[in-house]
Amino acid sequence: MKYITYVNQLIKELVAEPEEIVIFGQNVSAGSCISGLTRGLTVKKDGLILNTSNSENSLCGIGFGLMLSKVPSIFFMKQQDFLLLGIDHLVNTYNFIRTKKPESSFTIFTPIIDNGYQGLQSSLNNFSDFCSIARIPGYAITNKVDAEKILKEHLISPGFRIIGISQRLCSEEILCPSLVNTDEKGNIFKYYSGNDATIVCFNFSFPQGLELYNKLKQENINASLFSVSSIINGDWSKIISDTSITKNMIILDDSKSINLSCNSLIKDVLEVTTLKSNILLSRDLSGDWLSPNEDKLVIDHNQIIEKIKKNNLI
Amino acid sequence: MLNDSTFPKNNSNTNSFKLAQEVIRIRLSQMLINELIKKKEFKIPIHLAFGHEAIAVAISNIMDKDDQLVLSHRNIHYNLARLKLLKPELDEYYLKKSGLAKGILGSMNLANEDKGIIYTSSILGNNLSVAAGLALGKKVKNETGLVTVVTGDGAMEEGSFYETLVFLKSNSLSSFIIVENNDWSLATSINERRSHIDIEKLCESIGVDYERLEGNDVYAYQKKMIELKKYAIENKQPICIEVNLTTLGFWRMKTNEFPLGKFVNYHAGNAPDINLLDSYNFFIIDNSEKDPVYVLKKYFDDNLINETSKRILNELKCELKEEIK
Repeated sequence: MKYITYVNQLIKELVAEPEEIVIFGQNVSAGSCISGLTRGLTVKKDGLILNTSNSENSLCGIGFGLMLSKVPSIFFMKQQDFLLLGIDHLVNTYNFIRTKKPESSFTIFTPIIDNGYQGLQSSLNNFSDFCSIARIPGYAITNKVDAEKILKEHLISPGFRIIGISQRLCSEEILCPSLVNTDEKGNIFKYYSGNDATIVCFNFSFPQGLELYNKLKQENINASLFSVSSIINGDWSKIISDTSITKNMIILDDSKSINLSCNSLIKDVLEVTTLKSNILLSRDLSGDWLSPNEDKLVIDHNQIIEKIKKNNLI
Repeated sequence: MLNDSTFPKNNSNTNSFKLAQEVIRIRLSQMLINELIKKKEFKIPIHLAFGHEAIAVAISNIMDKDDQLVLSHRNIHYNLARLKLLKPELDEYYLKKSGLAKGILGSMNLANEDKGIIYTSSILGNNLSVAAGLALGKKVKNETGLVTVVTGDGAMEEGSFYETLVFLKSNSLSSFIIVENNDWSLATSINERRSHIDIEKLCESIGVDYERLEGNDVYAYQKKMIELKKYAIENKQPICIEVNLTTLGFWRMKTNEFPLGKFVNYHAGNAPDINLLDSYNFFIIDNSEKDPVYVLKKYFDDNLINETSKRILNELKCELKEEIK
């Protein structure tokens, strides 16, 4: 099943449950329904599905207004960079809202434009940037396991959050890794355990992280594989404890921002652990990264394999 | 406008006189706060609303239990009108736990859910769409009541004004959008900062009903607002109400171009030209229709207003005995 189909199926099930919910946004029940994300949604008779005008700033405020009315709602937005128009609400209105105990749910659900062939608008591909500006809980969906946990836990629950999906992954088959553990809120997922290396994926780099895990395994290098879904209130302790065993940390972050979420993890790990290798795989933006391009986090697997083998005397 | 022949002129025992007392109380409360601002008592910015009292009292007075009010950074007049007390508001300005919002919101975001003030924003235009969300919430929950959002001639320049009008109209949401047009945004008048915007025509283009209020007559305002509220609820319509008013107070900014000082209308902080003096008519700032307290003279004679003002000032001083000793 495709990534977008699976996410859509989960959303369909969840929004059909509450007695009263407002689903709104541009073309949520028209045309392609945001490339299939909101296709076929139905709500109970006291709910409402609203195709709105193009007014992202106001639509963010309307969601917060509904929240103050104690009416749960989901604003499905076509793409994350449109959310730039709503930043005032993400900061100022949310700051007012969180002076109170939330009784209702407001979720902004948006694809992150991380397909480089979209041109200029794909430069803002860091989901965490939006979460960081006002410490907003935000959850990135990268596979079947995190999709299920995040959507069931957060799509409709008291409070405000943003949920992001990757446009690049929409037409791909959804990945289904084995889960070792996650925390109560689905901030960090651990998929595999190994003693030779610790792989940690940020933003939407999980597919590349899983590929790297498999390549290492073929070379008898057993790695642990983590994916960080949410940077807010993330507890690094499980990752730190894993790196204290493996001594080799490999971080993947496919975002293009100067401020990478993984910097906080690197700092915390280095404070308590002496690593044999600390490999950060991030975007090379030294060339032309603004024109339409493949826009992929490129990984030299052989180089990493050599380095880990050398460090671990494998 | 009220028919003067039916108005109980000079009868201080009627319900009608309560409106006048409210206008005076809000005026005097602000005068006391202004004196405290002059003494640099507060760490937070405060935006006084001298000259805005009539519309605030009229709106507060027509609010029913299910009605909701959404305010902006200049909210003191509405908060005082709804709460009918000064001390909790003042304590909020002092950021005390005993403040109206436990010292959490300060002045520019001060809301009071118990009195129907659901949300207040310091950001121009921000509150409009939140009000639209509240109105949509009422529709979804099939609740009665009207959502009123207060904005100004500066905030209506933001795109969210237009976006919100379109949303309210598109979804048939009963609501008032009050544009307090005082001509000024920070230190620039409308003529200095932009071309003229005809709000009536803008509303007409979207199909939103429009009404203009002017004259600062609390009785006329209340009468009109009752009619408009009935219309908005029965017809499930937003109504944009432009209220022409003057924020009383000013200062002069000396520049090379204006060595004697350029007139700048009051925006925030203390109003240096307004003083709480022990004199006759001390409660009037401007002897014209710009001043809602002056307008009360149309209905009541000087002595009654003067005696009432003295009594209210004493009551307020008793309420604030710690703060103004």
